[in-house]
Amino acid sequence: MSSPNHQPDLEDSINVTEAHGRVILEAAAAAREKRIADNGSEPINLWILAACGVVAIIAGGILGGAGKLFSYGSSFREGYVRTPAPGTAESGPQPKEALAAYMAKGSKIYSAKCNGCHGPDAKGDGANFPSLVGSKWVLGETDRFAMIILNGLQGPISTGKSYGAGMAAQGAGLSPADLAGIMTFVRNNFGNSTGDVITVEMAKAAMEISDARANKGLQLTAAELEADHLKALPGEPLDPKAMVDPISLAPIAAPVAAPKVTP
Amino acid sequence: MSSDSTTTTDQDALLRASIDRSLRHPVMFFLTSGAAWLAVSILLGVIASAKVHNPGFLADCAWLTYGRAFPAHMNALVYGWGMQAAFAVIIWLMARLSRKECNAVGTILAAGHVWNLGVGLGVVGILAGYGTGMPWMEFPAFAWPVLLVSYCAILIWSFIQFRVRPEGHVFISQWYILAAMIWFPWVFITANTLLHCMPGHPVMAAGINAWFKSAMIFLFFTPVALGAAYYLAPKVTGRPVFSYSLAKLGFWSLAIIAPWAGMQKLAGAPIPFFLPYLGAAATALLFIPACAAGFNLIRTMLSCPKTLAESPSLRFTMAGIIGLAVLAVAAVLLNLPGSTLKMTQFSLSGYGFDVLAIYGFFTLVMFGATYFIVPRVTRREWLSRRLIKMHFLFSAYGVVFVALIALFGGLLQGAGQEDWQQPWEDAASRAIPYAVASTFSWSLILFSNVFFFLHLALMWMRLGRRSLHPTLLVSSHDAHGSSPHGEEGDIDNAGPGHAAAH
Repeated sequence: MSSPNHQPDLEDSINVTEAHGRVILEAAAAAREKRIADNGSEPINLWILAACGVVAIIAGGILGGAGKLFSYGSSFREGYVRTPAPGTAESGPQPKEALAAYMAKGSKIYSAKCNGCHGPDAKGDGANFPSLVGSKWVLGETDRFAMIILNGLQGPISTGKSYGAGMAAQGAGLSPADLAGIMTFVRNNFGNSTGDVITVEMAKAAMEISDARANKGLQLTAAELEADHLKALPGEPLDPKAMVDPISLAPIAAPVAAPKVTP
Repeated sequence: MSSDSTTTTDQDALLRASIDRSLRHPVMFFLTSGAAWLAVSILLGVIASAKVHNPGFLADCAWLTYGRAFPAHMNALVYGWGMQAAFAVIIWLMARLSRKECNAVGTILAAGHVWNLGVGLGVVGILAGYGTGMPWMEFPAFAWPVLLVSYCAILIWSFIQFRVRPEGHVFISQWYILAAMIWFPWVFITANTLLHCMPGHPVMAAGINAWFKSAMIFLFFTPVALGAAYYLAPKVTGRPVFSYSLAKLGFWSLAIIAPWAGMQKLAGAPIPFFLPYLGAAATALLFIPACAAGFNLIRTMLSCPKTLAESPSLRFTMAGIIGLAVLAVAAVLLNLPGSTLKMTQFSLSGYGFDVLAIYGFFTLVMFGATYFIVPRVTRREWLSRRLIKMHFLFSAYGVVFVALIALFGGLLQGAGQEDWQQPWEDAASRAIPYAVASTFSWSLILFSNVFFFLHLALMWMRLGRRSLHPTLLVSSHDAHGSSPHGEEGDIDNAGPGHAAAH
C-alpha cells in the first residue's frame, strides 16, 4: 500500500519480538549505538578567545614584517642592507689562496666549455679530441695555450696528426678572469701540475695579442703558433699562496709577491 | 518504552546496519590496503632514517638510496595510507550522515584498485629513480591524472548522497567532510597543472610546492580528521558536542586561513617578499581553528570519562586531538621570522611538523574511526583487546618521539646551520642522535602497524569475534571471567533484549 514511513502503525503481520530479535542478531553494533545528541549551546570560552587573541597578535607581528602586501615585484625588503654576522666584519666572500681561487673559477668554465669534447678527465678520445694530460701545448708556452683556447686550431699538428675538424674558437664571452681561471685549472689538474698561476693580467695580455693577430677570426694553424706564439705571456707571476678575492680574483691586501701590475 | 518507538529504533538500527553492510567491501578495502601502505611507508621511513646516522646501511642498493627511500616513504604515507584512510572514513560517514545506502560499490572498488595501482607504480617509479623531486609530488608525472580520476570516481557518490539526503540539519562532520572533498581537487589540480603542465619560474615552483604540502595537511587531512572526530566524540559518548558556536568558529576560521599558509618554507628565497611572511602568519593563525576544534572535542569527550576510558575509538581520537593541539602550538612556535623560521628551512623540523600532522593527528584519529567503523561494516567485534592496546601504546609513544625529536633536533640542527663559519658537517652531526632516536621510534610504530594490518585483514575476512559485546579497553564492571579479548558471548546464544548499551 504505502511505505512504512507513512504508516507508523504496525501491521498485524509484523511480529515485534521477532523483528527486535532480528535487529539484535543482524545489527548488534548498529543497535547499541547511541544517537548523536543535539548540538550543545555553550558559549565560546573566554580563555579560548584570549589564547586566539594572543596568537592573532603574534601573527599580526609576523605579517607586519612582510612590508607591502601583494607587491609581486619586490623580492626583498625595501632598503634591505645585509647585516654582518655577529663577531665578523662584513667583507664579502672570504679571500682564498690564489691557486685555489683560480682553479675554482676555471673548473666551472671547464665544465661549461671544454668538458663536452675533452671529457671530464681531460683525456679526450684520441681520435677527434686530443688529451690535455701531460700535453706540452698545455704545459709549455702560455701564449700558445692561450691562443688555442681563444681562437681554436685546425690542421695537422707538429706530429703530423690531424684531429677531426679541429677545435672551434672558445674566446667568445670569456673574460680575462675566466681565461686565467681555465688556463690555471687545466695546467694544475688531471695530473698536470705546473704549480703556477696564469694571472688575470696575463690573460688580458693574451686577449690583446689575439686581437692583434694578422688573420684575426680564423682558427690557428700549427705553423702560425710556431712562428708567433712560442713564448710566455707577459706579466708578473703571482705567488700561488697569495690571497685573492674568489669572485674577481683581485689580490687582497697586496702582500710582497703581488705588486700592482700595469699592463 | 512503547512498542511503537521500539520499532522506530529498530528500523533505524536496521537502516544503519544496511548502510554499513552496503559499504563493507569498499571501506575494508581502503582501510586494509591503506594499512598495508602504512606499513610499507614506515619501513621505507626506517630505512631513510637509518641512513641519516649510518650512511653505509644498504649503500650498495641504488633503489634504496636516501634520495629515493625518503620521498617514497612520504608519498606512500600520504597517498597510500592517508588518502585511502580518508576515503574509507568519508564514504562511510557521508552515507551514515545522509542516511543513504551506497549504490556504487563496484565503481568505488574498481576506482580504489586504480588508485592503488597509481600509488604502487608511483612508488616504484620513485624507487627506480624517476621521482620528480618535488616534495609530496614525487610520483612520476603520469600518476597524478590517474589519482585524480580515481579520486573523483570514489568520492562523487558521497556528493550525490549528500545531495539527495533527507532534508534537515547538516551535521558538523558533514561540513568538514564536504569541504575536504571539494578542497582536495582544487589543491591537487592547481599544484599539479602549475608544476607539470605549465612550469614557470623554478623558485616560484618550489613555493607552489610548499603551498601544496601545507594545503594537503590543512585543507584535506585536517578537515577529514576533524569531521571524523566531530562524529566519534558525540556518537560514542552520547553527549552533545560541547559548543556549536565554537564548532562554527573552528570551521570557518580553517576555511578562511588555511589556503594562505605554506609559502613560509621559502623565506629568504627570491620570490615576492611578502609571500613567506603571509604564509608564516597564516600558519601561526591556524592555531585558532585547531584550538577551537580541539577544545570543543576534548570537552565533548571528557563529558563521559567512563566511555573515554573504555572505548578504543575515543582513546585514539583523544590522542589525535592532543596531537592537533601540539601541532597548533608548533605552528606558532616554528614560524617566528626573527628566531625560529630560518632554522626550519633545511633541517629536520619541517619533517617533524609533517609527521606530527599526518601521523600524530590525522592518522591517530583515523585509527579511532577505524576501531569504530570496522565492527559495524563487518558485523564482527575486534579480536583482541591486547592488540588494540599495543597498537595504541606503540603508535602514540612512537609518534611523540618521532615528531618531538624531529621538531626539537631540527631546531638545533638549524641553529648549527646558521653558524655559517663552521663546516656544514658540524650542523649535520648535531642531528645524529636525533636521527638514531627517530629510527628507533619508527621501528616501534612499524611493529604496531604490522599487527594492525593483520588485525584488520582478519576482520575483513569476517574472522572477528561473533559477539554482542564490543571489544573495550578495560573489562566492564560485570565481567565474570577476565578474558583478554573482552566479554565473550556468542551472538546466536544471546536472547533478545540483551544488547549492551555501548
